[in-house]
Amino acid sequence: MRTTFAAAIAGAAILVAAAPTRAHHAFSAEFDISKPLKLQGTLRKWEMINPHSWFHVDVKMPDGTVVPWLIEGGSPNQLIRLGVTKNTLTMGTEFIIEGYQARDGTNKAVGRNFQFADGRTLFLGGSAPGATGADKP
Amino acid sequence: MFHRFLLSTVLGGVLAAALVAAGGGVSQAQTSPAKKWTVPRTPDGQPDLQGFWNNTTYTPLQRPNGVNKEYYTAEEAVEMIKRAAADEAEQTVPGTVEDVHYDFTQFGLDRSQAPLAQNLRTSLIVDPADGKLPPLTEEGRRRQRARAEARKRAGGPTDAVQNQSLSVRCILMDRNGPPMLAGAYNNNYQIVQAPGYVMILVEMLHGPRIIPIDGRAQLPPAIRQLEGSSRGRWDGDTLVVETTNFTDATGFQGSSENMRLTERFTRVDAETMLYRFTVDDPSTWTRPWSAEVPWRKAVGPLFEHACHEGNYGLYNTLAGARAQDKREAEASASKPSNERSDP
Repeated sequence: MRTTFAAAIAGAAILVAAAPTRAHHAFSAEFDISKPLKLQGTLRKWEMINPHSWFHVDVKMPDGTVVPWLIEGGSPNQLIRLGVTKNTLTMGTEFIIEGYQARDGTNKAVGRNFQFADGRTLFLGGSAPGATGADKP
Repeated sequence: MFHRFLLSTVLGGVLAAALVAAGGGVSQAQTSPAKKWTVPRTPDGQPDLQGFWNNTTYTPLQRPNGVNKEYYTAEEAVEMIKRAAADEAEQTVPGTVEDVHYDFTQFGLDRSQAPLAQNLRTSLIVDPADGKLPPLTEEGRRRQRARAEARKRAGGPTDAVQNQSLSVRCILMDRNGPPMLAGAYNNNYQIVQAPGYVMILVEMLHGPRIIPIDGRAQLPPAIRQLEGSSRGRWDGDTLVVETTNFTDATGFQGSSENMRLTERFTRVDAETMLYRFTVDDPSTWTRPWSAEVPWRKAVGPLFEHACHEGNYGLYNTLAGARAQDKREAEASASKPSNERSDP
């Protein structure tokens, strides 16, 4: 899934503009690169807050117990501009989330990739795949 | 998989539009306006800059090495943007530092999903002509070293909350400046004009720049502010804002608190405002330098960005460092007994 895309650009030497800082803090200082994880759980709450939004996800363990996790996602402002609201994602929606656990060892993680249970990738952005209302769960 | 979709939809749609528009883009409007456009007026007769704006750009502050011209052709500019957008949407490799992040595209935050003004320039810096920052003065180099040493003395970034940057602490971001430059996302502004004032609301961190344009003097030199002291005036249809009284804590590109910043806001057509700024700081650079970036009309409203209130990331970062300290202390405490048991 996570393949590297090498754009084949023909023509004169055109140097790519350096990407701006990807976020307002170093995520690798908050989350542990040596603790990748994959969780499956249901959405209990979505905090559409800044500087980053947080997904509260209940993860059902094999023994039947439910463990709450907090998953960090992106700033919601652009999503709100595109018409996404806190009701866009239905509570109880099942997610498969890949990410990295917090360095303090608590049940927090950054959500590197959010997928629905049927394999579709979560795209809340306006022009991104799955962004139309019809594609939303 | 999905990045191909992005290329075919986002780039194929939004950027194809940019390609079409780039032929009659900002650079031409700046140099040889093809048709006369009249700046609208407020009811009291001022040039009307009001509304919502976005300054997202793919153009770097300094001209990339290997590029030796001031402007790309329209085709080259679109290729540059396509490639930068593809890089931004590119999926990172699991297990790398870059991968420890959420996916910008999943939250509509990649720049290809933002309003983008056409800009054929190869750098935001327009003066000096080479598109690069001028050389530092000896004093500028000394200050750079002193600041680096001071940071070292203060310890690591997670040793104290004060060691984290102003942006991480939700105090001031580059979108606010001044000068006002785009960050990765949420580069949205609202300008409101009232008699005697221009107000620029910066979405991220929801801070208003309130600029008097009534001819009053700057604040006394003893009063220093992170954003300096700004005073505006009209030069024809251009809003000119002079800012002084900076502190040593902001240091734009290594500047001193004595930086004198001149910003110029000029509407060039219905959809575009040219933002140009000149940095004059003889104690840092051997000569003044200027940059410009077009702002594009955007759709409002702005949304709240209560950064400090929701800044769980700062807590998590420090908590992670303290947990690491504890693990290291425990490992160190258990070490002597191990050594004693060694033969």
